[in-house]
Amino acid sequence: MKTINPIVSPWKSSMTARERFNRQMHFQPVDRCFNMEFGYWEENFTEWDIFRDNNICNNDEADIFFSFDKIKSIGGATFMHPAFESRIVEEREDVNVIMNGDGLLAEVPKKGDGSSIPHYLKSSIVTPEDWKRCKEEKFRLDDPARKLDIEKLKKAHPDDRDYPLGVNAGSMIGRIRDVLTFEGLAYAICDYPDMVEDMVETTCQLVEYSLDQLLPHFKFDYACGWEDICFKNGPIVTPDFFEYIIMPRYKRINKKLKAHGIDIWYTDCDGDVRPILKYFLEGGINCLFPFEVMGCAHPGELLDKYQGELRIMGGFDKIQLGNGRESIKKYMESLAPYVERGGYIPFCDHRCPPNVTTADYLYYLELKQNMFGMESTIYKHK
Amino acid sequence: MAELQKIKEAIMGGKREEVSRLVQAALTAGDSPVEILEGGMIPAMREIGDKFSRNEVYVPQMLIAARAMQAGLALVEPVLAQTGHQPLGKLCIGTVKGDLHDIGKNLVAIMLKGAGYEVVDLGVNCDINKYEEGIKQGANVVVCSALLTTTMPYMKDVVEHFKSKGVKVIIGGAPVTQNYADQIGADGYSEDANGAVKLVDRLLGKTA
Repeated sequence: MKTINPIVSPWKSSMTARERFNRQMHFQPVDRCFNMEFGYWEENFTEWDIFRDNNICNNDEADIFFSFDKIKSIGGATFMHPAFESRIVEEREDVNVIMNGDGLLAEVPKKGDGSSIPHYLKSSIVTPEDWKRCKEEKFRLDDPARKLDIEKLKKAHPDDRDYPLGVNAGSMIGRIRDVLTFEGLAYAICDYPDMVEDMVETTCQLVEYSLDQLLPHFKFDYACGWEDICFKNGPIVTPDFFEYIIMPRYKRINKKLKAHGIDIWYTDCDGDVRPILKYFLEGGINCLFPFEVMGCAHPGELLDKYQGELRIMGGFDKIQLGNGRESIKKYMESLAPYVERGGYIPFCDHRCPPNVTTADYLYYLELKQNMFGMESTIYKHK
Repeated sequence: MAELQKIKEAIMGGKREEVSRLVQAALTAGDSPVEILEGGMIPAMREIGDKFSRNEVYVPQMLIAARAMQAGLALVEPVLAQTGHQPLGKLCIGTVKGDLHDIGKNLVAIMLKGAGYEVVDLGVNCDINKYEEGIKQGANVVVCSALLTTTMPYMKDVVEHFKSKGVKVIIGGAPVTQNYADQIGADGYSEDANGAVKLVDRLLGKTA
Protein backbone atom coordinates (compact mmCIF):
# COMPACT_ATOMS: atom_id res chain seq x y z
CA MET A 1 0.00 0.00 0.00
CA LYS A 2 1.27 3.46 -0.90
CA THR A 3 2.62 5.56 1.97
CA ILE A 4 1.42 9.13 2.04
CA ASN A 5 3.15 11.65 4.27
CA PRO A 6 0.68 14.41 5.11
CA ILE A 7 1.90 17.91 4.37
CA VAL A 8 -0.07 19.28 7.33
CA SER A 9 -1.21 17.83 10.66
CA PRO A 10 -4.88 17.09 11.29
CA TRP A 11 -6.69 20.01 12.90
CA LYS A 12 -6.79 19.81 16.68
CA SER A 13 -10.04 18.32 17.90
CA SER A 14 -11.95 17.03 20.88
CA MET A 15 -14.67 15.18 18.95
CA THR A 16 -14.64 12.42 16.38
CA ALA A 17 -15.28 13.41 12.79
CA ARG A 18 -18.60 11.56 12.96
CA GLU A 19 -19.74 13.38 16.07
CA ARG A 20 -18.59 16.73 14.64
CA PHE A 21 -20.36 16.18 11.31
CA ASN A 22 -23.61 15.20 12.93
CA ARG A 23 -23.57 18.07 15.41
CA GLN A 24 -22.54 20.65 12.83
CA MET A 25 -25.26 19.57 10.41
CA HIS A 26 -27.82 19.80 13.20
CA PHE A 27 -26.78 23.32 14.23
CA GLN A 28 -25.34 22.10 17.53
CA PRO A 29 -22.09 23.23 19.23
CA VAL A 30 -18.91 21.59 17.89
CA ASP A 31 -15.23 21.54 18.77
CA ARG A 32 -14.41 23.00 15.36
CA CYS A 33 -15.60 23.04 11.77
CA PHE A 34 -15.61 19.79 9.77
CA ASN A 35 -12.51 19.95 7.57
CA MET A 36 -12.98 18.63 4.05
CA GLU A 37 -12.60 19.49 0.38
CA PHE A 38 -14.35 18.12 -2.71
CA GLY A 39 -11.14 17.44 -4.64
CA TYR A 40 -9.11 18.64 -7.61
CA TRP A 41 -9.04 18.58 -11.39
CA GLU A 42 -6.92 15.90 -13.02
CA GLU A 43 -4.40 18.56 -14.11
CA ASN A 44 -3.71 19.58 -10.52
CA PHE A 45 -2.06 16.21 -9.97
CA THR A 46 0.47 16.89 -12.70
CA GLU A 47 0.72 20.68 -12.48
CA TRP A 48 0.80 21.36 -8.72
CA ASP A 49 4.33 20.84 -7.42
CA ILE A 50 3.11 19.69 -3.99
CA PHE A 51 1.20 16.85 -5.63
CA ARG A 52 3.86 16.04 -8.19
CA ASP A 53 6.76 16.08 -5.74
CA ASN A 54 4.90 13.95 -3.22
CA ASN A 55 3.45 11.49 -5.74
CA ILE A 56 -0.15 12.41 -4.90
CA CYS A 57 -2.17 11.07 -7.82
CA ASN A 58 -5.87 11.26 -6.96
CA ASN A 59 -8.44 12.83 -4.66
CA ASP A 60 -8.40 10.02 -2.08
CA GLU A 61 -4.66 10.44 -1.69
CA ALA A 62 -5.05 14.22 -1.53
CA ASP A 63 -7.53 13.86 1.35
CA ILE A 64 -4.87 12.00 3.36
CA PHE A 65 -2.12 14.38 2.23
CA PHE A 66 -4.03 17.39 3.61
CA SER A 67 -5.23 15.47 6.71
CA PHE A 68 -8.89 16.17 6.03
CA ASP A 69 -11.62 14.71 8.20
CA LYS A 70 -12.75 11.35 6.88
CA ILE A 71 -16.21 11.07 5.32
CA LYS A 72 -17.46 8.13 3.27
CA SER A 73 -20.56 6.87 1.52
CA ILE A 74 -21.78 3.56 0.13
CA GLY A 75 -24.55 2.48 -2.18
CA GLY A 76 -25.81 0.02 -4.72
CA ALA A 77 -26.30 -0.02 -8.47
CA THR A 78 -29.14 2.47 -8.71
CA PHE A 79 -29.23 3.10 -12.44
CA MET A 80 -28.39 1.45 -15.73
CA HIS A 81 -26.63 -1.92 -15.53
CA PRO A 82 -24.85 -3.20 -17.48
CA ALA A 83 -23.61 -0.03 -19.14
CA PHE A 84 -23.36 0.25 -22.90
CA GLU A 85 -20.03 -0.94 -24.23
CA SER A 86 -17.64 2.03 -24.37
CA ARG A 87 -15.72 2.18 -27.63
CA ILE A 88 -14.11 4.52 -30.11
CA VAL A 89 -16.41 4.79 -33.11
CA GLU A 90 -14.25 7.15 -35.19
CA GLU A 91 -10.87 8.86 -34.86
CA ARG A 92 -10.68 12.46 -36.09
CA GLU A 93 -7.83 14.99 -36.08
CA ASP A 94 -8.20 16.41 -32.55
CA VAL A 95 -11.09 14.36 -31.23
CA ASN A 96 -12.34 10.82 -31.02
CA VAL A 97 -16.00 10.04 -31.56
CA ILE A 98 -16.91 7.54 -28.88
CA MET A 99 -19.91 5.60 -27.70
CA ASN A 100 -19.90 6.01 -23.94
CA GLY A 101 -21.32 3.83 -21.19
CA ASP A 102 -24.59 5.78 -21.27
CA GLY A 103 -25.06 4.92 -24.93
CA LEU A 104 -24.24 8.40 -26.15
CA LEU A 105 -22.23 9.19 -29.22
CA ALA A 106 -19.84 11.93 -28.15
CA GLU A 107 -16.74 13.81 -29.21
CA VAL A 108 -13.89 13.83 -26.70
CA PRO A 109 -10.52 15.55 -27.16
CA LYS A 110 -7.61 13.25 -27.91
CA LYS A 111 -5.50 15.19 -25.42
CA GLY A 112 -7.86 14.34 -22.59
CA ASP A 113 -7.65 16.61 -19.57
CA GLY A 114 -10.56 14.96 -17.81
CA SER A 115 -12.16 18.29 -16.99
CA SER A 116 -14.27 18.86 -20.06
CA ILE A 117 -17.72 17.36 -20.46
CA PRO A 118 -17.80 15.44 -23.76
CA HIS A 119 -19.53 17.03 -26.74
CA TYR A 120 -22.61 14.84 -27.08
CA LEU A 121 -23.92 14.08 -30.54
CA LYS A 122 -26.70 11.52 -30.20
CA SER A 123 -28.52 9.45 -27.58
CA SER A 124 -29.40 5.77 -27.84
CA ILE A 125 -32.80 6.54 -26.29
CA VAL A 126 -35.09 8.86 -28.20
CA THR A 127 -38.44 7.09 -28.53
CA PRO A 128 -40.53 4.93 -26.14
CA GLU A 129 -39.46 1.89 -28.19
CA ASP A 130 -35.78 2.70 -27.50
CA TRP A 131 -36.58 3.04 -23.80
CA LYS A 132 -38.58 -0.19 -23.66
CA ARG A 133 -35.66 -2.09 -25.16
CA CYS A 134 -33.12 -0.48 -22.87
CA LYS A 135 -35.29 -0.92 -19.77
CA GLU A 136 -35.72 -4.63 -20.37
CA GLU A 137 -32.01 -5.10 -20.82
CA LYS A 138 -30.35 -2.63 -18.46
CA PHE A 139 -32.84 -1.58 -15.77
CA ARG A 140 -33.84 -4.95 -14.35
CA LEU A 141 -34.53 -5.08 -10.62
CA ASP A 142 -33.56 -8.76 -10.62
CA ASP A 143 -30.10 -8.12 -12.08
CA PRO A 144 -27.73 -10.00 -9.71
CA ALA A 145 -25.37 -7.00 -9.81
CA ARG A 146 -27.95 -5.07 -7.80
CA LYS A 147 -27.64 -7.48 -4.89
CA LEU A 148 -25.31 -6.02 -2.28
CA ASP A 149 -22.75 -7.87 -0.18
CA ILE A 150 -23.87 -6.48 3.16
CA GLU A 151 -21.35 -8.39 5.28
CA LYS A 152 -18.44 -7.09 3.25
CA LEU A 153 -19.75 -3.53 3.54
CA LYS A 154 -20.31 -3.89 7.28
CA LYS A 155 -16.77 -5.09 7.72
CA ALA A 156 -15.50 -2.07 5.83
CA HIS A 157 -17.73 0.35 7.76
CA PRO A 158 -18.38 -0.97 11.29
CA ASP A 159 -21.02 0.59 13.53
CA ASP A 160 -18.41 1.97 15.89
CA ARG A 161 -16.63 3.91 13.16
CA ASP A 162 -15.45 7.42 14.01
CA TYR A 163 -16.33 9.01 10.65
CA PRO A 164 -19.65 9.90 9.02
CA LEU A 165 -21.02 7.34 6.59
CA GLY A 166 -23.59 8.22 3.96
CA VAL A 167 -25.95 6.11 1.88
CA ASN A 168 -26.37 6.77 -1.81
CA ALA A 169 -29.93 7.94 -2.49
CA GLY A 170 -29.37 8.06 -6.23
CA SER A 171 -30.40 10.46 -8.93
CA MET A 172 -34.00 10.87 -10.00
CA ILE A 173 -33.39 12.94 -13.13
CA GLY A 174 -29.70 13.81 -13.50
CA ARG A 175 -28.67 10.40 -14.77
CA ILE A 176 -31.69 10.33 -17.08
CA ARG A 177 -30.50 13.67 -18.45
CA ASP A 178 -27.08 12.07 -18.98
CA VAL A 179 -28.64 9.32 -21.05
CA LEU A 180 -31.02 11.52 -23.06
CA THR A 181 -28.75 14.60 -23.35
CA PHE A 182 -29.68 18.12 -22.27
CA GLU A 183 -31.73 18.89 -25.38
CA GLY A 184 -33.01 15.32 -25.65
CA LEU A 185 -34.54 15.52 -22.18
CA ALA A 186 -36.39 18.75 -23.04
CA TYR A 187 -37.75 17.23 -26.26
CA ALA A 188 -38.63 13.93 -24.56
CA ILE A 189 -40.63 15.69 -21.83
CA CYS A 190 -42.57 17.47 -24.59
CA ASP A 191 -42.94 14.55 -27.01
CA TYR A 192 -43.06 11.51 -24.71
CA PRO A 193 -43.95 12.61 -21.16
CA ASP A 194 -45.09 9.13 -20.15
CA MET A 195 -41.76 7.67 -21.21
CA VAL A 196 -39.83 10.18 -19.10
CA GLU A 197 -42.06 9.57 -16.09
CA ASP A 198 -41.52 5.83 -16.48
CA MET A 199 -37.76 6.42 -16.58
CA VAL A 200 -38.01 8.39 -13.33
CA GLU A 201 -40.23 5.75 -11.71
CA THR A 202 -37.90 2.93 -12.78
CA THR A 203 -34.93 4.80 -11.35
CA CYS A 204 -36.79 5.42 -8.10
CA GLN A 205 -37.55 1.70 -7.76
CA LEU A 206 -33.87 0.85 -8.25
CA VAL A 207 -32.90 3.35 -5.53
CA GLU A 208 -35.55 1.93 -3.20
CA TYR A 209 -34.29 -1.59 -3.82
CA SER A 210 -30.77 -0.55 -2.87
CA LEU A 211 -31.97 1.31 0.22
CA ASP A 212 -34.10 -1.64 1.35
CA GLN A 213 -30.98 -3.80 1.37
CA LEU A 214 -28.73 -1.28 3.14
CA LEU A 215 -30.80 0.68 5.62
CA PRO A 216 -31.59 -2.14 8.09
CA HIS A 217 -27.90 -2.97 8.52
CA PHE A 218 -26.18 0.39 9.06
CA LYS A 219 -26.51 3.48 11.19
CA PHE A 220 -25.99 6.01 8.45
CA ASP A 221 -25.19 9.61 9.24
CA TYR A 222 -26.54 11.09 6.02
CA ALA A 223 -27.84 10.35 2.55
CA CYS A 224 -26.33 11.70 -0.63
CA GLY A 225 -27.37 12.01 -4.24
CA TRP A 226 -26.52 13.65 -7.49
CA GLU A 227 -28.63 15.58 -9.95
CA ASP A 228 -26.70 18.40 -11.68
CA ILE A 229 -30.00 19.46 -13.17
CA CYS A 230 -29.49 23.21 -13.04
CA PHE A 231 -27.18 25.57 -14.86
CA LYS A 232 -26.38 29.24 -14.63
CA ASN A 233 -29.86 30.33 -15.73
CA GLY A 234 -31.90 27.89 -13.67
CA PRO A 235 -33.15 24.33 -13.92
CA ILE A 236 -33.00 22.39 -17.17
CA VAL A 237 -36.40 20.88 -16.45
CA THR A 238 -39.34 23.09 -15.53
CA PRO A 239 -40.26 23.63 -11.87
CA ASP A 240 -43.65 22.04 -12.66
CA PHE A 241 -41.93 18.86 -13.85
CA PHE A 242 -39.90 18.87 -10.68
CA GLU A 243 -42.95 19.36 -8.49
CA TYR A 244 -45.16 16.72 -10.08
CA ILE A 245 -42.72 14.09 -11.33
CA ILE A 246 -39.52 14.29 -9.29
CA MET A 247 -40.50 15.54 -5.84
CA PRO A 248 -43.06 12.79 -5.10
CA ARG A 249 -40.31 10.22 -5.69
CA TYR A 250 -37.98 12.10 -3.36
CA LYS A 251 -40.76 11.89 -0.76
CA ARG A 252 -40.93 8.14 -1.17
CA ILE A 253 -37.19 7.82 -0.66
CA ASN A 254 -37.23 10.26 2.24
CA LYS A 255 -39.86 8.15 4.02
CA LYS A 256 -37.44 5.22 3.98
CA LEU A 257 -34.52 7.37 5.12
CA LYS A 258 -36.50 8.93 7.96
CA ALA A 259 -37.68 5.49 9.10
CA HIS A 260 -34.02 4.67 9.67
CA GLY A 261 -33.13 7.93 11.42
CA ILE A 262 -31.49 9.70 8.46
CA ASP A 263 -32.47 13.35 8.44
CA ILE A 264 -29.59 14.87 6.47
CA TRP A 265 -29.77 14.39 2.71
CA TYR A 266 -27.57 16.28 0.32
CA THR A 267 -27.67 16.36 -3.42
CA ASP A 268 -24.94 17.48 -5.78
CA CYS A 269 -26.66 20.01 -7.98
CA ASP A 270 -24.66 22.80 -9.53
CA GLY A 271 -26.19 25.90 -11.06
CA ASP A 272 -29.08 28.07 -10.02
CA VAL A 273 -31.20 25.75 -7.87
CA ARG A 274 -33.39 28.52 -6.47
CA PRO A 275 -36.47 27.88 -8.67
CA ILE A 276 -36.64 24.23 -7.51
CA LEU A 277 -35.15 24.49 -4.03
CA LYS A 278 -38.54 24.43 -2.33
CA TYR A 279 -39.24 21.08 -4.01
CA PHE A 280 -35.89 19.71 -2.87
CA LEU A 281 -36.78 20.72 0.67
CA GLU A 282 -40.34 19.42 0.46
CA GLY A 283 -39.04 16.12 -0.91
CA GLY A 284 -36.54 15.78 1.96
CA ILE A 285 -33.29 17.03 0.41
CA ASN A 286 -32.07 19.56 2.94
CA CYS A 287 -28.43 20.08 1.99
CA LEU A 288 -26.73 21.35 -1.17
CA PHE A 289 -23.31 20.17 -2.28
CA PRO A 290 -20.83 21.47 -3.53
CA PHE A 291 -22.84 24.62 -4.20
CA GLU A 292 -21.17 26.48 -7.05
CA VAL A 293 -21.36 30.17 -6.26
CA MET A 294 -21.00 31.59 -9.78
CA GLY A 295 -23.94 29.55 -11.02
CA CYS A 296 -26.20 30.48 -8.14
CA ALA A 297 -25.49 32.83 -5.24
CA HIS A 298 -23.38 33.37 -2.14
CA PRO A 299 -24.27 30.48 0.17
CA GLY A 300 -25.32 33.00 2.81
CA GLU A 301 -28.23 34.14 0.64
CA LEU A 302 -29.85 30.70 0.74
CA LEU A 303 -28.79 29.89 4.31
CA ASP A 304 -30.42 33.12 5.47
CA LYS A 305 -33.58 32.53 3.48
CA TYR A 306 -33.99 28.94 4.68
CA GLN A 307 -32.41 29.34 8.10
CA GLY A 308 -32.61 26.21 10.23
CA GLU A 309 -33.94 24.17 7.31
CA LEU A 310 -31.22 24.18 4.65
CA ARG A 311 -27.58 23.11 5.00
CA ILE A 312 -24.77 23.72 2.53
CA MET A 313 -21.49 21.91 2.00
CA GLY A 314 -19.05 23.78 -0.27
CA GLY A 315 -19.75 27.28 -1.51
CA PHE A 316 -16.23 28.74 -1.42
CA ASP A 317 -16.14 30.55 -4.77
CA LYS A 318 -13.35 29.02 -6.88
CA ILE A 319 -13.04 32.32 -8.78
CA GLN A 320 -12.03 34.05 -5.53
CA LEU A 321 -9.68 31.17 -4.78
CA GLY A 322 -7.92 31.92 -8.06
CA ASN A 323 -7.82 35.66 -7.46
CA GLY A 324 -5.11 35.67 -4.79
CA ARG A 325 -4.83 36.07 -1.05
CA GLU A 326 -6.75 39.30 -0.58
CA SER A 327 -9.79 37.84 -2.37
CA ILE A 328 -9.48 34.55 -0.49
CA LYS A 329 -9.43 36.30 2.88
CA LYS A 330 -12.32 38.59 2.03
CA TYR A 331 -14.45 35.70 0.81
CA MET A 332 -13.54 33.48 3.80
CA GLU A 333 -14.62 36.29 6.13
CA SER A 334 -17.98 36.47 4.36
CA LEU A 335 -18.56 32.79 5.26
CA ALA A 336 -17.69 33.07 8.97
CA PRO A 337 -21.21 33.89 10.26
CA TYR A 338 -22.60 30.81 8.53
CA VAL A 339 -19.90 28.48 9.86
CA GLU A 340 -20.61 29.87 13.32
CA ARG A 341 -24.36 29.34 12.95
CA GLY A 342 -23.93 25.67 11.94
CA GLY A 343 -25.32 23.69 9.05
CA TYR A 344 -22.54 24.94 6.81
CA ILE A 345 -19.22 23.30 5.91
CA PRO A 346 -17.06 25.51 3.68
CA PHE A 347 -14.89 24.15 0.88
CA CYS A 348 -14.10 24.97 -2.73
CA ASP A 349 -17.37 25.03 -4.65
CA HIS A 350 -16.39 22.14 -6.91
CA ARG A 351 -13.13 20.42 -7.78
CA CYS A 352 -10.38 22.99 -7.30
CA PRO A 353 -9.06 24.05 -10.73
CA PRO A 354 -5.36 24.23 -11.62
CA ASN A 355 -5.35 28.01 -12.13
CA VAL A 356 -5.25 28.28 -8.31
CA THR A 357 -1.60 28.39 -7.30
CA THR A 358 -0.34 25.90 -4.75
CA ALA A 359 0.88 28.76 -2.56
CA ASP A 360 -2.57 30.35 -2.56
CA TYR A 361 -4.22 27.00 -1.95
CA LEU A 362 -2.03 26.33 1.07
CA TYR A 363 -2.79 29.86 2.29
CA TYR A 364 -6.51 29.11 1.87
CA LEU A 365 -6.25 25.90 3.91
CA GLU A 366 -4.25 27.62 6.64
CA LEU A 367 -6.68 30.53 6.77
CA LYS A 368 -9.59 28.11 7.01
CA GLN A 369 -7.93 26.40 9.94
CA ASN A 370 -7.17 29.70 11.67
CA MET A 371 -10.72 30.94 11.22
CA PHE A 372 -12.69 27.72 11.77
CA GLY A 373 -10.30 25.38 13.67
CA MET A 374 -10.17 24.70 17.42
CA GLU A 375 -8.33 27.96 18.01
CA SER A 376 -11.04 30.03 16.35
CA THR A 377 -12.84 32.60 18.48
CA ILE A 378 -16.17 31.56 16.95
CA TYR A 379 -16.29 28.43 19.12
CA LYS A 380 -17.51 28.75 22.66
CA HIS A 381 -14.86 26.52 24.24
CA LYS A 382 -12.26 29.23 23.60
CA MET B 1 -53.63 39.28 -39.14
CA ALA B 2 -55.16 36.62 -36.92
CA GLU B 3 -52.99 33.86 -38.41
CA LEU B 4 -49.81 35.63 -37.32
CA GLN B 5 -51.02 35.58 -33.73
CA LYS B 6 -51.78 31.87 -34.05
CA ILE B 7 -48.30 31.21 -35.49
CA LYS B 8 -46.76 33.19 -32.65
CA GLU B 9 -48.72 31.26 -30.02
CA ALA B 10 -47.93 27.91 -31.62
CA ILE B 11 -44.20 28.69 -31.61
CA MET B 12 -44.27 29.85 -28.01
CA GLY B 13 -46.10 26.64 -27.08
CA GLY B 14 -43.53 24.53 -28.88
CA LYS B 15 -46.18 23.03 -31.21
CA ARG B 16 -44.05 22.36 -34.24
CA GLU B 17 -46.63 20.45 -36.27
CA GLU B 18 -49.14 23.23 -35.78
CA VAL B 19 -46.50 25.80 -36.74
CA SER B 20 -45.79 23.89 -39.96
CA ARG B 21 -49.49 23.68 -40.77
CA LEU B 22 -50.18 27.35 -40.06
CA VAL B 23 -47.11 28.64 -41.90
CA GLN B 24 -47.81 26.45 -44.91
CA ALA B 25 -51.43 27.61 -44.95
CA ALA B 26 -50.34 31.26 -44.77
CA LEU B 27 -47.85 30.82 -47.60
CA THR B 28 -50.39 28.96 -49.73
CA ALA B 29 -52.87 31.77 -49.13
CA GLY B 30 -50.29 34.15 -50.58
CA ASP B 31 -49.27 35.88 -47.38
CA SER B 32 -45.91 37.63 -47.44
CA PRO B 33 -43.13 35.42 -46.03
CA VAL B 34 -41.50 38.53 -44.60
CA GLU B 35 -44.70 39.34 -42.74
CA ILE B 36 -45.01 35.76 -41.47
CA LEU B 37 -41.42 35.89 -40.23
CA GLU B 38 -41.37 39.39 -38.81
CA GLY B 39 -44.99 39.57 -37.69
CA GLY B 40 -45.38 36.12 -36.16
CA MET B 41 -42.28 34.03 -35.85
CA ILE B 42 -39.61 36.47 -34.68
CA PRO B 43 -41.94 38.16 -32.14
CA ALA B 44 -42.64 34.68 -30.71
CA MET B 45 -38.97 34.00 -30.04
CA ARG B 46 -38.36 37.50 -28.71
CA GLU B 47 -41.30 37.18 -26.34
CA ILE B 48 -40.24 33.76 -25.09
CA GLY B 49 -36.74 35.17 -24.58
CA ASP B 50 -38.17 37.99 -22.49
CA LYS B 51 -40.20 35.51 -20.46
CA PHE B 52 -37.02 33.48 -19.92
CA SER B 53 -35.25 36.58 -18.61
CA ARG B 54 -38.13 37.13 -16.17
CA ASN B 55 -38.00 33.44 -15.05
CA GLU B 56 -41.49 32.90 -16.42
CA VAL B 57 -40.27 30.10 -18.68
CA TYR B 58 -37.20 27.87 -18.47
CA VAL B 59 -34.70 26.44 -20.90
CA PRO B 60 -36.81 23.40 -21.95
CA GLN B 61 -39.61 25.70 -23.07
CA MET B 62 -37.11 27.81 -25.02
CA LEU B 63 -35.73 24.70 -26.68
CA ILE B 64 -39.08 23.37 -27.79
CA ALA B 65 -40.14 26.84 -28.96
CA ALA B 66 -36.91 27.04 -30.98
CA ARG B 67 -37.63 23.63 -32.46
CA ALA B 68 -41.09 24.80 -33.49
CA MET B 69 -39.54 27.96 -34.95
CA GLN B 70 -37.19 25.79 -37.00
CA ALA B 71 -40.18 23.90 -38.40
CA GLY B 72 -41.63 27.21 -39.59
CA LEU B 73 -38.31 28.51 -40.89
CA ALA B 74 -37.85 25.40 -43.00
CA LEU B 75 -40.92 26.47 -44.95
CA VAL B 76 -40.38 30.24 -44.95
CA GLU B 77 -36.68 30.45 -45.73
CA PRO B 78 -36.78 29.01 -49.29
CA VAL B 79 -39.52 31.52 -50.18
CA LEU B 80 -37.66 34.35 -48.44
CA ALA B 81 -34.51 33.57 -50.39
CA GLN B 82 -36.38 34.36 -53.61
CA THR B 83 -37.44 37.79 -52.31
CA GLY B 84 -33.90 38.96 -51.48
CA HIS B 85 -34.88 39.47 -47.84
CA GLN B 86 -31.90 40.28 -45.63
CA PRO B 87 -31.43 39.20 -42.01
CA LEU B 88 -30.90 41.80 -39.29
CA GLY B 89 -27.20 41.01 -39.31
CA LYS B 90 -24.74 38.15 -39.45
CA LEU B 91 -22.75 36.77 -36.52
CA CYS B 92 -20.42 33.89 -35.88
CA ILE B 93 -20.49 31.98 -32.63
CA GLY B 94 -18.26 29.35 -31.08
CA THR B 95 -17.01 27.88 -27.82
CA VAL B 96 -13.38 28.88 -27.27
CA LYS B 97 -10.31 26.73 -27.80
CA GLY B 98 -9.89 23.88 -25.32
CA ASP B 99 -13.59 23.89 -24.39
CA LEU B 100 -16.08 21.38 -25.79
CA HIS B 101 -19.16 22.67 -24.00
CA ASP B 102 -21.88 23.74 -26.36
CA ILE B 103 -25.17 23.96 -24.50
CA GLY B 104 -24.88 27.68 -23.65
CA LYS B 105 -23.48 28.45 -27.08
CA ASN B 106 -26.36 26.57 -28.74
CA LEU B 107 -28.96 28.44 -26.71
CA VAL B 108 -27.48 31.80 -27.68
CA ALA B 109 -27.36 30.74 -31.35
CA ILE B 110 -30.98 29.58 -31.20
CA MET B 111 -32.15 32.87 -29.71
CA LEU B 112 -30.16 34.99 -32.15
CA LYS B 113 -31.56 33.06 -35.11
CA GLY B 114 -35.03 33.33 -33.65
CA ALA B 115 -34.57 37.08 -33.32
CA GLY B 116 -33.85 37.46 -37.03
CA TYR B 117 -30.06 37.24 -37.21
CA GLU B 118 -28.06 34.92 -39.44
CA VAL B 119 -25.73 32.85 -37.32
CA VAL B 120 -22.61 31.02 -38.47
CA ASP B 121 -22.19 28.29 -35.86
CA LEU B 122 -18.48 27.47 -35.65
CA GLY B 123 -19.02 24.74 -33.08
CA VAL B 124 -16.73 24.03 -30.14
CA ASN B 125 -12.99 24.23 -29.49
CA CYS B 126 -12.61 27.34 -31.71
CA ASP B 127 -9.21 28.93 -32.12
CA ILE B 128 -8.70 32.36 -33.69
CA ASN B 129 -8.45 30.87 -37.19
CA LYS B 130 -11.86 29.33 -36.79
CA TYR B 131 -13.39 32.65 -35.72
CA GLU B 132 -11.65 34.22 -38.74
CA GLU B 133 -13.51 31.74 -40.95
CA GLY B 134 -16.75 33.14 -39.56
CA ILE B 135 -15.68 36.68 -40.45
CA LYS B 136 -14.77 35.53 -43.97
CA GLN B 137 -18.31 34.23 -44.27
CA GLY B 138 -19.58 37.76 -43.64
CA ALA B 139 -20.13 37.89 -39.89
CA ASN B 140 -19.91 41.35 -38.27
CA VAL B 141 -19.71 40.16 -34.69
CA VAL B 142 -17.84 37.32 -32.97
CA VAL B 143 -19.71 35.63 -30.12
CA CYS B 144 -17.45 33.65 -27.73
CA SER B 145 -18.62 31.14 -25.15
CA ALA B 146 -16.70 29.33 -22.37
CA LEU B 147 -17.76 27.12 -19.51
CA LEU B 148 -14.43 26.58 -17.81
CA THR B 149 -12.31 28.97 -15.77
CA THR B 150 -9.30 27.48 -17.51
CA THR B 151 -10.54 28.12 -21.07
CA MET B 152 -12.03 31.56 -20.37
CA PRO B 153 -8.62 33.34 -20.68
CA TYR B 154 -8.54 32.47 -24.41
CA MET B 155 -11.33 35.03 -24.85
CA LYS B 156 -8.72 37.72 -24.21
CA ASP B 157 -6.66 36.45 -27.17
CA VAL B 158 -9.75 36.55 -29.39
CA VAL B 159 -10.64 40.07 -28.25
CA GLU B 160 -7.10 41.34 -28.83
CA HIS B 161 -6.90 39.70 -32.25
CA PHE B 162 -10.11 41.23 -33.54
CA LYS B 163 -9.71 44.63 -31.86
CA SER B 164 -7.13 45.73 -34.44
CA LYS B 165 -9.47 44.58 -37.23
CA GLY B 166 -12.46 46.53 -35.98
CA VAL B 167 -14.56 43.38 -35.42
CA LYS B 168 -16.73 43.40 -32.32
CA VAL B 169 -16.37 40.49 -29.89
CA ILE B 170 -18.95 39.66 -27.24
CA ILE B 171 -18.57 37.00 -24.56
CA GLY B 172 -20.57 34.84 -22.18
CA GLY B 173 -20.60 31.57 -20.24
CA ALA B 174 -20.89 30.31 -16.68
CA PRO B 175 -17.64 31.75 -15.24
CA VAL B 176 -17.74 34.96 -17.32
CA THR B 177 -18.78 38.25 -15.75
CA GLN B 178 -19.24 41.85 -16.88
CA ASN B 179 -16.17 42.64 -14.83
CA TYR B 180 -14.13 40.10 -16.79
CA ALA B 181 -15.49 41.43 -20.09
CA ASP B 182 -14.42 44.95 -19.10
CA GLN B 183 -11.04 43.67 -17.98
CA ILE B 184 -10.22 42.06 -21.35
CA GLY B 185 -11.81 44.84 -23.40
CA ALA B 186 -14.65 42.80 -24.90
CA ASP B 187 -17.38 44.76 -26.68
CA GLY B 188 -20.08 43.22 -24.56
CA TYR B 189 -21.18 40.54 -22.13
CA SER B 190 -24.49 38.89 -21.50
CA GLU B 191 -25.45 36.61 -18.67
CA ASP B 192 -28.09 34.75 -20.65
CA ALA B 193 -29.24 33.94 -24.19
CA ASN B 194 -31.96 36.54 -24.32
CA GLY B 195 -29.57 39.20 -23.04
CA ALA B 196 -27.24 38.28 -25.90
CA VAL B 197 -29.99 39.17 -28.38
CA LYS B 198 -30.50 42.59 -26.74
CA LEU B 199 -26.75 43.14 -26.68
CA VAL B 200 -26.40 42.38 -30.40
CA ASP B 201 -29.41 44.63 -31.14
CA ARG B 202 -27.61 47.47 -29.37
CA LEU B 203 -24.22 46.77 -30.95
CA LEU B 204 -25.65 46.65 -34.48
CA GLY B 205 -28.13 49.47 -33.91
CA LYS B 206 -31.16 47.27 -34.51
CA THR B 207 -34.46 47.78 -32.76
CA ALA B 208 -36.43 44.76 -31.67
